[in-house]
Amino acid sequence: MSALRRHATIALAIARKDALAELRGRQAVGSTIFFAALVLLLFGFALGPDSGRLAEAAPGLLWLAIVFGGLLTVARLHQMEADDGALEQLALYPVDRRAVYAGKALAGAGAMLLLGGLLFPVVAILYGVPLGAAWLPLAVTVVLGSVGFAAVGTAYAGLTVRMRAREVMLPLLMLPIVAPLLLAAVKATVAAVAGDPFGELGAWLQLLVGFDIVMLIAGAATYGFLLED
Amino acid sequence: MPQTTIYVAPRLGGAHGSPPPAVDTDGLARLFGRSAALAGVSLRIEAGRTVALLGPNGAGKTTLLRILATAIRPSFGGLFIDGVDALRHPEIIRTRVAYLSHASGMYDDLTAAENLRFAATMLGWSGSEVATVADRAIAEVGLAPVADDRVGTFSAGMRKRLALARLLVARPSLVLLDEPHAALDEDGMGLVDRLLGLWHEFGITVVVASHQADRVNRAADATVRLHGGLVADVTGNGVRAGALAPVIPTQAAAVRTSR
Repeated sequence: MSALRRHATIALAIARKDALAELRGRQAVGSTIFFAALVLLLFGFALGPDSGRLAEAAPGLLWLAIVFGGLLTVARLHQMEADDGALEQLALYPVDRRAVYAGKALAGAGAMLLLGGLLFPVVAILYGVPLGAAWLPLAVTVVLGSVGFAAVGTAYAGLTVRMRAREVMLPLLMLPIVAPLLLAAVKATVAAVAGDPFGELGAWLQLLVGFDIVMLIAGAATYGFLLED
Repeated sequence: MPQTTIYVAPRLGGAHGSPPPAVDTDGLARLFGRSAALAGVSLRIEAGRTVALLGPNGAGKTTLLRILATAIRPSFGGLFIDGVDALRHPEIIRTRVAYLSHASGMYDDLTAAENLRFAATMLGWSGSEVATVADRAIAEVGLAPVADDRVGTFSAGMRKRLALARLLVARPSLVLLDEPHAALDEDGMGLVDRLLGLWHEFGITVVVASHQADRVNRAADATVRLHGGLVADVTGNGVRAGALAPVIPTQAAAVRTSR
């Protein structure tokens, strides 16, 4: 078996294992989706009934909800490793650490995609934003945003999983790093919904691609050290 | 995969190309904060031996096993396994060592079969072999009837059996067992005894830490007794201890060495 194929097998096995555990722990998945939807609903109440104001704020609030839900998701994907010594066992398997990172990031990106896919219709209904016409650029934005967030989140969740105050430390460390991603994703969503009148969508998507590449490389390079005790 | 240069300690080999010791530690010490769990352990274990690691709570048994498994690094000292520098090349050691810790290392939301198949994949079995070796290992430890049950529903003893099954999926030259009899019923303890015999028969080196001295001594070639993070004494064949003096001072070690 070639090294690349072996790495792909390991990454897929980890992603599959995480996906199975996530889907079976239905309370955790359901509560994350419910939490993110609740964030959207509460922001809606805070902004008031002005439909124009709601539609204007919708892209930013959507991505805040995705980020909040994503924080819970990436933390949980590592918390399951901390239960009953699984993280130590994972570190002791004779596998390339970059493959382990790829598997965890893949699972995180998949969960984020699911979350984003479910929240878009919620935003369309709650905030009265017509998203249907711009589905393709929005889908690309969600994919790129999810990959970038999972790339950062996997590395930082690996860093904080052994900390006592991990619930606080993860957002504290991670949110400043994902600020460029949040900005680019919101701007791309705004441009996509408006039909890209100023031709800026491509630039924001390029920024997202660049962010994803840099963070994936940085995460893969450092994750092995984080797994060591 | 890039070729890795393996450093083999020249002092390890016996005369005329005899195999290096399975385990060779040189003054291993480990600090947790200001407390020394190991104060300087020098041991040489011949390949194929079964060694019982005994001692009271806090003697350093688990810390020594975790260092041998490359789960943690020592604060001081050297470690060679099968002649390979374990501190420089832990990735090579992990292909050769199987470790049973206090925790099962299993995922609650996965079934026993799914957990073992995941382990088999991680341990290098190919797609067509994964299910076969995993199912066989589950049957060997007596969990076949509950193979499709989630591990979250298992008792501590069943988890221990499943962790033992993971050892059977691995292909190690060194097996490290930390309290393997704990949480098991009489039948489960018999299973551990049978596995110890099997590994001995196949020439696999085993280091087993236990409070069940009578039980592990029956299977062991040698006994190493730890106290206060140091080797207190060694009996039997196939194991030699180095200097018994601590390389770092500890209160317990100071008490022991002043006697």
